[in-house]
Amino acid sequence: MLDIDSLTHRYGGEDDDGDAAVDDVSLTIPDGQFLVLCGPNGSGKSTLVRHLNGLLEPDAGRVLVNGTAAAEDPVAARTAVGMAFQEPRDQFVAATVGGDVAFGPENLGLSHDEIDRRVARALDAVGLNGRETDRIETLSGGERERLAVAGALAMEPDHLVLDEPFTGLDSPARKGLLDRLRDLHADGTGLIVVTHDLRDLLSDAERVVCLADGAVVVDTEPADAAAELEQYGVRVPDRRTTD
Amino acid sequence: MLGYEPGDTPAHRLDPRTKLAVQLCFAVAAFAHTGPRGLLVLTGVTALALASARLSPVSVLWDYRFLLPLLAAAVLFELVTLGPPWVDPAAAVDPLLASYRTLLIVAVAAGYVRTTPARESRAAVQWAIPGKAGRLLGAGVGLVFRFLPLLRRDLAAIRDAETARLGDQRPTRERLATVGAAGLRRAFARADRLSTALSARCFSWNGTLPRIRFGVVDAPALMLAAGLAVTAVV
Amino acid sequence: MSTATDSVDLVGDDVVGNLVRAALLAALMGAFAFVSFPNPLNPAVPVTAQVLGVFLAGIYLGPAWGGFAMALYVLAGVLGAPVFSGASAGLGQLFGPTGGYLLSYPFAAALIGALIHGTDGLADPESVSLPRLVAAMAAGTVVIYGFGIPVYWYYLDTNLVAAVVGAGLAFVPAELVKMAAAVGIVRSEEVQAT
Repeated sequence: MLDIDSLTHRYGGEDDDGDAAVDDVSLTIPDGQFLVLCGPNGSGKSTLVRHLNGLLEPDAGRVLVNGTAAAEDPVAARTAVGMAFQEPRDQFVAATVGGDVAFGPENLGLSHDEIDRRVARALDAVGLNGRETDRIETLSGGERERLAVAGALAMEPDHLVLDEPFTGLDSPARKGLLDRLRDLHADGTGLIVVTHDLRDLLSDAERVVCLADGAVVVDTEPADAAAELEQYGVRVPDRRTTD
Repeated sequence: MLGYEPGDTPAHRLDPRTKLAVQLCFAVAAFAHTGPRGLLVLTGVTALALASARLSPVSVLWDYRFLLPLLAAAVLFELVTLGPPWVDPAAAVDPLLASYRTLLIVAVAAGYVRTTPARESRAAVQWAIPGKAGRLLGAGVGLVFRFLPLLRRDLAAIRDAETARLGDQRPTRERLATVGAAGLRRAFARADRLSTALSARCFSWNGTLPRIRFGVVDAPALMLAAGLAVTAVV
Repeated sequence: MSTATDSVDLVGDDVVGNLVRAALLAALMGAFAFVSFPNPLNPAVPVTAQVLGVFLAGIYLGPAWGGFAMALYVLAGVLGAPVFSGASAGLGQLFGPTGGYLLSYPFAAALIGALIHGTDGLADPESVSLPRLVAAMAAGTVVIYGFGIPVYWYYLDTNLVAAVVGAGLAFVPAELVKMAAAVGIVRSEEVQAT
């Protein structure tokens, strides 16, 4: 269970593309929920999710992960909330697929047998089973995104956060990733997908939260979302389907 | 270009620490015995090292060909004198032997480069340097291996973009500055994303070390290393 | 979660950030080995940007992490990453004609960093005066040749004059070009220091 309580985050003037402030946001996300977090560029989506596992410290308010403040026990928060960021290419630490997925479990000091088991399971979950010794440079864009997901899954998290996972993927790759996400959700992993583009996601998500200027402006079920979202610059299916 | 390639040669099966010990002891022995007889014996050891990695001496020499002018220059400087007798072959003997010694050490090291993946090297670093320093060096070495190809592609793309707009007409100083600045900017942008990703995956001081383990094949190689070390001191 | 999280000793964000920047700067220096430009003073010896990496390490990472970045560069090259000149690698390079230069880089970068930033905290490179920047790089270059020439002399068993000419003088003009380029980078305002 993730409990975001009056969270505020300010940046000291140095606003990069994704780094926007968050202003007094409260949300409760139960285990196993498939949530889509949307909003235009600069609305604070990336900042918000970085608080979920203690990568940022709140200026005010707090984030409780399973009852403990993320900022106080970052290890617990980071094992409970796995993250795959934008630009997966820049997140890999090893030259091979298996070496990279092992990185997280190694940091937890697990035994080699346990690490091997987790690597195999994580790769299996994203459809990269048996690819342990492949070099990362040889992977396609869709495979790289799925590898980033596997790297997070190897921590065996309760929730998985994906920051703009579909950016730059062609339609078969999008579908491949989406199928894997459905399976993960069916197995009980909570999903939080950050996007400014709702294509493909509305039929599967259970909840849609939309941020604008660092505040929650929409929090609803997908069926009701479409009508409200367009005014906040979010791409909704069936209205505009091409780039 | 010489680099790691997966394989099943005897050298691939050696523990990385064994291979590092052989190289170091070989270099020490080569400096101790730079006479013709010593170098003859060490040539035999080099041939053995290359054979165990299934590397051909010719391909190694080709990969390190840029060294040859530097070595040849050293020999020529001694061979040619600025007055009579103009050519002094006796003076050139020492640099010639020293240049040959360099090539032998480089060739033995090439065997390591070809047969040892980054992951094993990283583990050897953390084994040799315990504690936080070893953790930082080991992780850092792994990241250099991982990001070198990406940054090489960044620089190539930057140069292409520059050339496409006739940037190659500019003076070298300016071209170095533009390529350097753009390369540094990309490298730091990648670094910022990578640091976040490392933290998100609990980058820790006390993680599990990658598996490395001495096996039966290491015994003869370690004996060779010990033998080389002994010859250096007697 | 089954994992006992109490025993995991996380590396602090500052250290992670510095480690990653140092590693990427070392990799960038390796990538520079592939980029050569015509040498305005001596067309026979093309300029590669590698020593520029030593300057940038000291300037942007400071004495400790700049020196560490160069140690990573040398270590990764010894362990097989193709980062040395001609995209080569291996322990043999340390015992080759350019071995002294490689060994000097961590010291040179640390010295440049110390002269520019002092020993407590980093200054913004853009705010450093031009004479200080140039003096620091000149001192670093002295360290590089201070290692490079004697080691060349010792390894190759030549006389000292041959070593100075063969390993030193042929390259010094190109270093001036690289210093000018480093100044250009610092002044370009394109690179965020922190």
